[in-house]
Amino acid sequence: MASVAVPKQGGYSRPLILEWITTVDHKKLGILYLYTSLFFFAVGGVLALLVRTQLAVADNNFVDNHAYNQIFTMHASAMLFLFIIPIWAGFGNYLVPLQIGALDMAFPRINALSFWLFPPAGIIMFAGFLVKDGAAQAGWTAYSPLAKTLGTGMDLWIIAVAILGVSSTIGAANFLVTMFRMRAPGMTMFRMPIFCWTMLVTSVLQLLATPVLASALTMLFIDRNFGGNFFDPNGGGNAVLWQNVFWFYSHPAVYIMILPGMGIVSEILPVFSRKPLFGYKAFIFATMGIGGLGFSVWAHHMFTTGAVLKPWFGFMTFLIGIPTGVKMFNWLGTLWRGQISFEAPMLFALGFISMFLIGGINGAFSAAVPVDFALHDTYFVVAHIHYVLFGGSVFAVFGGLYYWFPKIWGRKLNERLGQIHFALMFIGFNLAFFPMHLLGLDGMPRRIATYNDFNNWQALNMLSTGGAFLISLSMIPFIAAVVMAFMRPKDQPNDPWDANTLEWATTSPPPVHNFDEIPEIHSERPLFDLRHGTNPGH
Amino acid sequence: MPTTGMRGSARRAIVFFFAALLALAAIGTASARAGQPGGITDEAREMHNLYLFTLLLGAVVFVIVEGVLIYCLIKFRKKDDSLPVQIHGSNIVEFIWTVIPVIIVIALFSYSFVVLRNIEHKENPVDLTVNVTGFQFQWQFTYCQNDLGKGANAPTQAKDSKYQGPCTAEADEFSIIGTAKDEPTVVIPLDEPVEFRLKSNDVIHSFYVRDFLYKLDVIPGRDNKFTVTARETGTYVGQCAELCGLNHSIMRFKLEVKTRADFDTWMADQKAESKSAARAP
Repeated sequence: MASVAVPKQGGYSRPLILEWITTVDHKKLGILYLYTSLFFFAVGGVLALLVRTQLAVADNNFVDNHAYNQIFTMHASAMLFLFIIPIWAGFGNYLVPLQIGALDMAFPRINALSFWLFPPAGIIMFAGFLVKDGAAQAGWTAYSPLAKTLGTGMDLWIIAVAILGVSSTIGAANFLVTMFRMRAPGMTMFRMPIFCWTMLVTSVLQLLATPVLASALTMLFIDRNFGGNFFDPNGGGNAVLWQNVFWFYSHPAVYIMILPGMGIVSEILPVFSRKPLFGYKAFIFATMGIGGLGFSVWAHHMFTTGAVLKPWFGFMTFLIGIPTGVKMFNWLGTLWRGQISFEAPMLFALGFISMFLIGGINGAFSAAVPVDFALHDTYFVVAHIHYVLFGGSVFAVFGGLYYWFPKIWGRKLNERLGQIHFALMFIGFNLAFFPMHLLGLDGMPRRIATYNDFNNWQALNMLSTGGAFLISLSMIPFIAAVVMAFMRPKDQPNDPWDANTLEWATTSPPPVHNFDEIPEIHSERPLFDLRHGTNPGH
Repeated sequence: MPTTGMRGSARRAIVFFFAALLALAAIGTASARAGQPGGITDEAREMHNLYLFTLLLGAVVFVIVEGVLIYCLIKFRKKDDSLPVQIHGSNIVEFIWTVIPVIIVIALFSYSFVVLRNIEHKENPVDLTVNVTGFQFQWQFTYCQNDLGKGANAPTQAKDSKYQGPCTAEADEFSIIGTAKDEPTVVIPLDEPVEFRLKSNDVIHSFYVRDFLYKLDVIPGRDNKFTVTARETGTYVGQCAELCGLNHSIMRFKLEVKTRADFDTWMADQKAESKSAARAP
């Protein structure tokens, strides 16, 4: 690395709070992203428990319809917009510069801006609970013309999502420039860690899709406040248009929410199998394939509108299964003939694979258009999205936290508590979401505040509610592990896992300038090469 | 990295995975409602067969992939500190496991395409039209009294497919509207192709009868319609399936399938009732 003037750590002192508020260090911003999005994960989780409590028994009136519609809308909005999407920005911020051997992100101040847009957006969205008529209650999909008829909470939701869109867009540009321009010598594109590649594809998706969401939100805002009729047929608009523009963003957004998780799993599996990722390039092309196809499947959310070309969107949706299948097989190929050990990060990565598989298979039911006619807008779809975004993304989030905790905070999370956390979460997750398949097949629509005893849906709903509480219980060992870790000194070596990628070459936690020295990079596993040499037989 | 106790924790992890997957399979099979109801219309039965085909393929993929995963976790668990052979990939293997999903995708798409065409491109004329209006938060079912169908065996004519509004004259309309206390019941004759025309004046709703295995959105500014031929008499539940506001969850209805004779009797009763209601005060 060329010698650069680096400010000495601790060279000048500022109050800690001021330091964190004004920081442009990608690592600190990454940590801020992680803390903030985990906070919203907790908030969204409490809302989920309220939903499950209400649905535990038939004809329940734990909350009324008005409250229920707000609760499930804000649960989804918090989990998607304020937890999953920003937590990948958190991991990405912390890891991408370290993994490519850069000093920081390309635009540190823009990076700070994109973070600081995020907490206010969350506050604005949740401020809906304080206004007349309450928070947004049209679902996270905000279908129009329903969204036009609701109270001020809807406007706050629109403003918040628009601000988050700005945050994502400039963040995506920052990631792309960082990865294209800031790689260390020897770090060619095809030597970048898989996590970086998934962040790259995710950033492209954000850059292309988010402006469409911004336009949709602007039109909806005009409809609501300035007499517009873009989506209101009573004034000459088109109700289905909203769904087209919304899903043109929101389907790629689903890949925005899962691809970095796949990246994390692809970092963890090789380390704990002691083998390279099977088919590194195939994996990259599969990621690009998913990203590209992601733009051609949005209307599979709209088969029952009767207003879209069903065979085309069904076909394109099935096609997604091909690159996804390739990834699944590559993960299995990585495990094959390895030396597999079962530390907490690995448990969560394996949980991801086994559960995401179900999320892929049950997606095929909705891609088969005539089957989707029955399943659309039922709990089957709720099961599907949770197998993808909880069984997939959330397991990857925790896998990533256990894996990089020693690097980020210099301390290791307790292994035994990690195992308990995983076991409770895995069981709770399946109890909560597997029964939803059966409820959906039996015709229980999603987003209903209560159901009739006539349908015999109570037993499965009760099971699901029990599972949801078990998931929340699984957070106790996790929090205990975090608290215990912070009570210990920072004792972690550079590379506690015998890992492969560049972030493990520096101290734990890394210095402000990231690296004192960057090892030579000859492959996608510079640290493996450092330990075992660059023997081509490896 | 500590290696002591690793095999013990490996064994525990594997046993745990096994137990969890077995439990999952048990929930699926032990439940009396492990699958989709069979459906009561010609169209539903075709869609149900496609569902079963998808389920079969999905089950095969599930068992194979989870099986290989569990096999790997047992067979290749860490035994010593030696470095395993570093396999970076194989183009042949990549090719093979790209082709396998391609074949599955082609099979699933082809079958679903055929089913879609069969249920949507009906050449058959419809015998009876029910006009469905969804509004916050109820359903209205309107029949045209001068055109109640002639029964499956009577000669039928193809109707103009262009939507012409509920009935030719307002006096002809006969409607059933639900109230907060009474769910409305829509009645259709057995064995006859019945067309539902869906209309909304406020927000989007979705007309969903579980045993049709079908739903179609009721969209303001758009006239959606579909045709089914019911093959089983009985009463079935229906419900709005698209979030439509405050009381979306209670926007329920019932659908009753009656034989032609029973249908005609029911309709005559309804007419008499509505006439007497009209004559009163």
